[in-house]
Amino acid sequence: MAPMANATPTDQVRKFAAEQFGDEPIWLRNRRNRLLEVYLAAPLPVRQRTSLKSRKLDRIPIGSAPTAADLPDDLQNLYQVANLITVNGHTKHLSVPTTWSDQGVILLPMTQAVNTAPQLIEEYLGTVVNDEADKFQALNSALWQDGIFLYVPARVTLDHPITVTHFGSSDVSNVLPRSLVVLDEEARATIIEQYLSEPGREKSLWAIATEIVLKDGAHLQYGAMQQLAVTAESFVRRGAQIGRDAHIYWSLGEFGSSLSIAEHTSLLSAPGGQSDSTTVFFGSETQHQDYVSVAKHVAPHTTSRMVARGVMKDDSRSVFTGVTEIKKGALGTDGRQKEKILMLSDTARADVIPSLLIEENDVFAAHAASAGPVDAASIFYLMSRGLSEAEAIRMVVHGFLATVIDAIPVDVLRHNVWNAVERKIAE
Amino acid sequence: MATPVLEIKDLHVAIDGTPIIKGLTLSVKGGEVHAIMGPNGTGKTSLAQTLMGHPHYTVTSGQVLLDGQDVLAMRTDQRARAGLFLAMQYPSEISGVTTANFLRTAINSLRATQDKKPITLKEFRDRLDEAMRYLEMDLQFANRYLNEGFSGGEKKRNEILQMLMLHPRIAVLDEIDSGLDIDAIKVVAKGVHSLVGTEFGALVITHYQRILAYLKPDVVHIMIDGRIVKSGDKSLAEELETKGYDWVRQEFVHEI
Repeated sequence: MAPMANATPTDQVRKFAAEQFGDEPIWLRNRRNRLLEVYLAAPLPVRQRTSLKSRKLDRIPIGSAPTAADLPDDLQNLYQVANLITVNGHTKHLSVPTTWSDQGVILLPMTQAVNTAPQLIEEYLGTVVNDEADKFQALNSALWQDGIFLYVPARVTLDHPITVTHFGSSDVSNVLPRSLVVLDEEARATIIEQYLSEPGREKSLWAIATEIVLKDGAHLQYGAMQQLAVTAESFVRRGAQIGRDAHIYWSLGEFGSSLSIAEHTSLLSAPGGQSDSTTVFFGSETQHQDYVSVAKHVAPHTTSRMVARGVMKDDSRSVFTGVTEIKKGALGTDGRQKEKILMLSDTARADVIPSLLIEENDVFAAHAASAGPVDAASIFYLMSRGLSEAEAIRMVVHGFLATVIDAIPVDVLRHNVWNAVERKIAE
Repeated sequence: MATPVLEIKDLHVAIDGTPIIKGLTLSVKGGEVHAIMGPNGTGKTSLAQTLMGHPHYTVTSGQVLLDGQDVLAMRTDQRARAGLFLAMQYPSEISGVTTANFLRTAINSLRATQDKKPITLKEFRDRLDEAMRYLEMDLQFANRYLNEGFSGGEKKRNEILQMLMLHPRIAVLDEIDSGLDIDAIKVVAKGVHSLVGTEFGALVITHYQRILAYLKPDVVHIMIDGRIVKSGDKSLAEELETKGYDWVRQEFVHEI
């Protein structure tokens, strides 16, 4: 099969990369070049329940520099609160409390970290996420732009959450944020990545990757909010490698983008590691969402909790695949997952596919999944107290998501998720 | 506000084409407590649900008027805003929505139609606490998800709590006494009585005479096979309790 020809001729993409990354260290340039060839040669990913061919992704130009842009007026207030803001993949704003720097914390845009902390980048980049997992991951791995680099030294606790905003303007054709988070032994941190974009006249392609390394005893609360415009098509891959007695809490909100393909994996590679994962998604209009959540238990006595709640409106379509994988030798593992989908329309579709892949005997694994419409009796009950049908539905949706959203440990993120839900209900 | 009047005139109701209520006529005014008694499967709950506009029931003929307004032309929420209330036999459990949050939303929905400002949190809290104390409920109740994991008795008390908070004009109470012990029945009766006055009337649907001893209805109706077959004062309920529904069937059903 001939390699997929993107709208930009392949030679032009190579030329773009050579120019764009010419100042980077040689090891990184070599790495980018190698993965660029992987990207150029790779076919479109094949997903069982998502047809990518029909989406004409090859018409979105790759490797063209967008015009300069800034956050729109209604987002300007982010400059006061965000630690890192990228616009069209380039850093616009960085704010690091001096107390953190004094403690040895490194918080930088990735492209800067390459020069400031080259050893750490070289040591960890590409070790958690498989750079060649598919065409769009290879695209990110080859041409990645600014995301956040965070290193927290051993036994340091960050006293408030780090917030990162990635923004894409209306004329951008691709945004490729790459983030790397390393928490040393017993370090504690909270980080939230938010993805926003303006609707454009043409489609934009987002390929996003975040890698997380938790050393022994480290705890990370990682939150992400995807609220991209309907003209965005997004591919997201996140991975966490979890050390001995380390603990990750994923809180992921998926609301935007016309196509959203996202996967996050907890690799429980040392005893006592724990992963708590919560995904909230809300589909409307003709959105297509395809999520994979993986808990991979390699070491004994590791624990995973996976929860997903989805609400589907209009003609939206979702697939949620939960994978609890227990490898031979992962004795005493406890892996559980629970997925629930609320259908607000007859023309929406949702597939929930929980799977347990178990190679060991002495383990506990469980899953529960359900999808169903709003209970008509509940709506009648609420309306009998004077709520309009719309208010009643809003209340039921609210209630459906409350147990999960209210458990999100970070205030800012919890409020953001609720706001996003309200907007989706009202849409 | 004027004394409310609920008039049901020759009402016929069917479920999936099967007639359930077959010509029922009844009128409840402010200041009155009416009781409808009848055996299982006679259409009592169907009547209650029809009055509130449950989509499962089809009115094939007849009229329901509240203060002369056509209730049957209204959506369920409009009926509530017009002042109709139904304490349900099996209230729904709404996960993730606290009783307090729900009640406040409901009160504000009603206020919005009356062009009133939303209730302040303080006023709401005060009224809620007062109503809960009155109904001898644990104040923690308000923070629990609506009916979720409530016992049968707690659900019934919660229905009465809602009634007290929403101040309807005409309340229909569907088997509010089923599954309640005598103390709880007294509390429910107390709740109803606290509202009864020229601006509030109640239609109490029950299987047993027990609650009527406390509710002291002005009128007791006996319903069989989708019709009111006999109406009288509260001594009718006592007579029914001793003689049973077979007596009613033999004595009255043939008359129609």
